[in-house]
Amino acid sequence: MALGGTIRGKKTSLRMPVEADLEAHQRWAADMRLRHADGVWHEPAMPATWKDRLSEAAKDKQTLLWSIDGEGTLVGFAVAHLWSLGNAVDINRFLVEPERWRKGYGFDAALALHRYFFDYLDLRRVNVDISADNVAALRIAERLGYVEYARGHEARYRDGSYVDEVNLFVDKEAWQQRFSGEREYPPLPPEAFR
Amino acid sequence: MLGPKLEGRGGISLVPPTLDDYRRLSRSMLQPEIGRFWGPRFGDFSDETQEKRFKEGADSQTSVSWHIAFAGEVVGFTGIFDINWIDRDGESGIFIGRHELFGKGIASEAIRLRTQYAWTELRLHRVHNWIGLGNRGSRRANEKAGYVQMGLYPRSWYRSGEWYDEWLGEAFPNTFPAKG
Repeated sequence: MALGGTIRGKKTSLRMPVEADLEAHQRWAADMRLRHADGVWHEPAMPATWKDRLSEAAKDKQTLLWSIDGEGTLVGFAVAHLWSLGNAVDINRFLVEPERWRKGYGFDAALALHRYFFDYLDLRRVNVDISADNVAALRIAERLGYVEYARGHEARYRDGSYVDEVNLFVDKEAWQQRFSGEREYPPLPPEAFR
Repeated sequence: MLGPKLEGRGGISLVPPTLDDYRRLSRSMLQPEIGRFWGPRFGDFSDETQEKRFKEGADSQTSVSWHIAFAGEVVGFTGIFDINWIDRDGESGIFIGRHELFGKGIASEAIRLRTQYAWTELRLHRVHNWIGLGNRGSRRANEKAGYVQMGLYPRSWYRSGEWYDEWLGEAFPNTFPAKG
């Protein structure tokens, strides 16, 4: 897993994870609300194990890990896996801690991350799988232009019962139609090319 | 982990994989006759890497893999991968490495054996997979073992001027044919 660099939103920033973030990962991993939502990075473990996980995370070039800051404080993390040919990406984990829910951090960070995928990495498509009962995540996906292409029935088990998994994607064309104003950088002036 | 020997019909069986067969089958992925519905036809196929991958698969606690034997010869592989033991769900796959054997029912029998094993020995709740929509033979072989469509992934990959969609299927114990 490679460590992602800085991506700035309006309220949030995705940034490179550091060891100081691992205590929060331990807390999130033990939080049943997050485990019932769309998953944590790893199971709870000793501090040394978390350090090993972060070291390993830096080595895989196709999987990217970010920490998410909200107004200066660590509030969550994201994991994405680039396809082997590098033209699409799967978002495997995207988490904002429960105490920070309903502040707009999730959408703000997700918008910034998608801008990076489409406007900076020039990817063709982004995929995500979301539990059918995760209304907040589905709402963010809808606002970003995702469409459902499949539904896995009774695919996830938690809290004593199964829940469906909704499989969604958003293409670059859909993103550009909806968010044409979202750019990593402003246009260069014509004289820059002379 | 490596799956146990499962005797099927018509001279077809699933057998525990060996490193020599694994190396040979992996290199058959590089043939254009196989690649239409398969990977990019490049990769690290060195002996060292193949041995490492084989060992990782054998040691894995979240996958079960087999080689497919037909008339006493290993001709492909199949398995259930990324098993989530809490969800009791896994992703299945199959590969026949000799194109002259396509359409002879080998995949159908291998998938039947694999799927039955998922229900009766692994006690899984669900298996799912992705298949090229145009790969009718593979899709049909999975449907015969109880897989049903759960979606279509449009424009998944590109071959010779055409975009290929992918068929997403899922199977449950109660969709497995009663006659087995």
